[in-house]
Amino acid sequence: MKLSPDPSRIFKWATLAFSAISLAFLVAAAIRENIAADWRDHQLAYRTILESKANDAGRAAARTFPIEIRQVSVPALGAVDRCVTCHAGIDDPRMADQANPHKTHPKRLLEIHRVEKFGCTICHQGQGAALNFDEAKAENFYWDYPLLPASLTEATCNSCHDPRALPDGSAPKLAWGLRLFAEKGCGGCHKLGGKGGSLGPALDNVGLKTKHEFVRAHLKGSQTTWNWHERHFRDPGGLVPGSLMPAPALTPAETEALTVYMLSLRRGEIHSDYLAPDKIEEKYARLHPPPADGEALYQRFCSACHDTGMHARWDRKFARFVPAIRNRAYIETEDDECLAENIREGRPGTRMPGWGQKAGGLSEGEVDALVAYLRRSAPPMELPPAPQRGSIARGGELFNRQCAGCHGVDGKGPIAPALANPVFQRAATDAFIAQTIRAGRDRTPMPAFGRAGFGDGEIADVLAYVRQWAPAGGRSTQ
Amino acid sequence: MPPTKEFLENLKKTPERLRESALRVGKLPETDRERSQSTFHNLFLHVQSVRTHRNSLRFAYTFGLGLILTASFVVLTITGILVMVYYKPSTDLAYQSVKDIHFVVPAGRFIRNIHRWAAHVMVVAVFLHMARVFYTGSYKKPREFNWLVGLALLVLTLALSFTGYLLPWDQLAFWAVTIGANIASSPREVTEALGITRWFDIGAFQKQLLLGANHVGQEALIRFYVLHVAVLPLLTAILMGVHFWRVRKDGGLSRDVTAEPPPALIRGREVQVFPPTKTYGLMAVVRGRTPVVGRAPEGSVPSWPHLLWAELAVFAFTIALTLALGYWFDAPLKEMANPAIPENPAKAPWYFLGLQELVSYSAFMGGVAIPMIVLIGLGLIPYLDRDPRGVGKWFGGPEGRRIFWVSLVVGLISVVALLAFTVQFGWLRNWFPSIAQLAIIALNPGTVIVAIYVAWSLWTLHRTGSIRMSAIALFTCFLAGFIVLTAMGSVFRGPNWQFYWWPSQWPVH
Repeated sequence: MKLSPDPSRIFKWATLAFSAISLAFLVAAAIRENIAADWRDHQLAYRTILESKANDAGRAAARTFPIEIRQVSVPALGAVDRCVTCHAGIDDPRMADQANPHKTHPKRLLEIHRVEKFGCTICHQGQGAALNFDEAKAENFYWDYPLLPASLTEATCNSCHDPRALPDGSAPKLAWGLRLFAEKGCGGCHKLGGKGGSLGPALDNVGLKTKHEFVRAHLKGSQTTWNWHERHFRDPGGLVPGSLMPAPALTPAETEALTVYMLSLRRGEIHSDYLAPDKIEEKYARLHPPPADGEALYQRFCSACHDTGMHARWDRKFARFVPAIRNRAYIETEDDECLAENIREGRPGTRMPGWGQKAGGLSEGEVDALVAYLRRSAPPMELPPAPQRGSIARGGELFNRQCAGCHGVDGKGPIAPALANPVFQRAATDAFIAQTIRAGRDRTPMPAFGRAGFGDGEIADVLAYVRQWAPAGGRSTQ
Repeated sequence: MPPTKEFLENLKKTPERLRESALRVGKLPETDRERSQSTFHNLFLHVQSVRTHRNSLRFAYTFGLGLILTASFVVLTITGILVMVYYKPSTDLAYQSVKDIHFVVPAGRFIRNIHRWAAHVMVVAVFLHMARVFYTGSYKKPREFNWLVGLALLVLTLALSFTGYLLPWDQLAFWAVTIGANIASSPREVTEALGITRWFDIGAFQKQLLLGANHVGQEALIRFYVLHVAVLPLLTAILMGVHFWRVRKDGGLSRDVTAEPPPALIRGREVQVFPPTKTYGLMAVVRGRTPVVGRAPEGSVPSWPHLLWAELAVFAFTIALTLALGYWFDAPLKEMANPAIPENPAKAPWYFLGLQELVSYSAFMGGVAIPMIVLIGLGLIPYLDRDPRGVGKWFGGPEGRRIFWVSLVVGLISVVALLAFTVQFGWLRNWFPSIAQLAIIALNPGTVIVAIYVAWSLWTLHRTGSIRMSAIALFTCFLAGFIVLTAMGSVFRGPNWQFYWWPSQWPVH
């Protein structure tokens, strides 16, 4: 019998080949995972810089600078930050002239916020556990809080500081954003600390929301929360279809300041050791509110919809008129209790929400301050003397033809204010009603019928017709 | 001999004697007889018979799938122990510990990647292995029971993979297991429809048994951990032992016992054959005289070295494959689990996505009834198909091959058509919004496709008169259904389980 060649040869070769492949991967992985890591290069470079900067005494120490993973562990903040593995010179003032990652932290902030106590991610966000920049930045990785861009890092100051108490210039965008939020009347729709309107979502914790909690179907570019905020400030409806939010006219700098403020809103509990005294005071200040300032309240909660309140405006998104509430003509027709009740309870059937303690979060004192402000600040109105009331029959004919379209045949007004309303009837004088018919209501859709051919007779007739809705015991003359 | 000299002499010879005592023979075997002895004198080798039928060495017969499974199990055990050293099974620490494995444990990321991909390799191989065994008729007498052991191993493999899915405690894990647990509670759909949930809530019981609570949390994590690292691997190892042992005792791998003994050639080369020196029949452990039941040994070759080299090659292949996957592709790890932010779509692991697709029609049918029917059906195959012909041949011959192709086409077309219909036109609930849930449980795309498949199989039975052919028809149809439904669930279903042609079309949410 002929001695056959080895029949297992093919398997032997396969075993050899696959083993060689496995070995190659093992060696490659061992190099990639352990030796070729970026942070080693950074530390080696840092060691060289350290040696060149050290004086004679420190040179020996610099030469033995160990190449190793470094981390700051802050159990109170739940942080294990390995950023210092590459940023080894972050708190060494000698490194101020170096390029990143060896550079000293700017503004000497770490002298107040020692790295060992605070770590890095409490201010900068990002993935502290990572050992390479891409994953530390974590913008395109699965991480809830990617590294904040330097231009927005101020946002996190708000976690431990009251921005108003910080020295000027230390967190300018944050402080500006806070002011803009009040000035632009954002509180008219958004609650913050329980105070605000209910048309938009409450914003107490918006800075801690992850990108998954935002509607991003139309978000172009970077899928970060800050990109979302900036684009949303520019075009709310473009990001959130059907949004009622008006596109506020904001400069890019204002947009950035408001974005910083949005990112700063975090209700997360931070260990009290880390809170600045002013932050603790800010928390308790709510228990001792300052005297209510009607003008500031108006700006904060009313101006977004009512603007200056001097003119009625057609709101495209609401598809209705927003009344001019600081118009003397309106204020004259309402008594204080009615104004206060409208503020407290809102106007059912309209977009006006309630602002009482349980709804918008305003205290009785604040509602009263608002009412007082409306009455005080509405510019005065000159009235000619009231005409004698004319014929109800003729007046009714004119009313149905000219007025009922807006005020309703029954005077209850589908569009325009209700005239068959006891409060109106009590508050409005004949002189006021006659003048309104004659001259219209300034900056509202109510036209001046005096200029449309109504003589004093017609005005007197319509006045008489409107007055037939006056309740018994109501104002009858003047 | 003076004692000192004897001592030194013994010391000098110790390495040689150590080797002798360990290997028994003391050297690499040179003759077939020594090779046989090497095999059955070694704890790890004696699971093979000393001689292997040449048919078992044909690559196109087994594709080495059983060995790939064994090899991936070994890879998983080794890498599993390594990651277990660093992993902390607590909801507070688990995610961070996985991150640390990823970032700071030396080569930890690589090890975890290998573990993840080896698990996928094992799941894929277990399905392919089952298909191979089925199509070659290898479940037939006397191997019926080993088919059942194999089914148990299939279930264990899926359970191992599923329990491991939760451990990283990321969003992917949390929501996949939430879906899995909801599938476990799906009998509730029936009890609700019957109005007996108050007295008999088997769905909630199953879910609580799985999770140890009503929601995925610490209780579930520790349960899954214990199952994943202790209970299931132990059970799997034991059943693998039984599985191998039975392969051996049932006469090695299946083959066509009616075929003429082929000449003693492997890949065109002659090999030495050697008559057995032992009569296994005497030990009354196998039927017949030799482990090669009912046949003379002429078709066989010594397991050492032929089988061993083949096995080693497949082991090396599996290891190389998992290393390559682990080197190039990172195992997924999403944000930390957050019960407040649901994933949309929340998807189970891929091998359950066919079931999830069925669950989207009817939770009970997709989650319980159809899987049970399939498992029971698979288990019954060897007891219903008693025809001994066609063992050891792919599809049992040309007729079976034809039935396979036709059934594959029928199975694919019917399931694709049904899915297309459902996506396009909806189902009963869309047409009759107030229809009783029981009607939907009974009649939904899942039950319809099962009915079509059973009908096709019965028609094949009627036409061919062969239970084997109808089994091939049914198995092939279910295989086609499994593949299409899994693809549907993995690729074509997006947020809110809507149909999309590709995941890149999903709206960002």
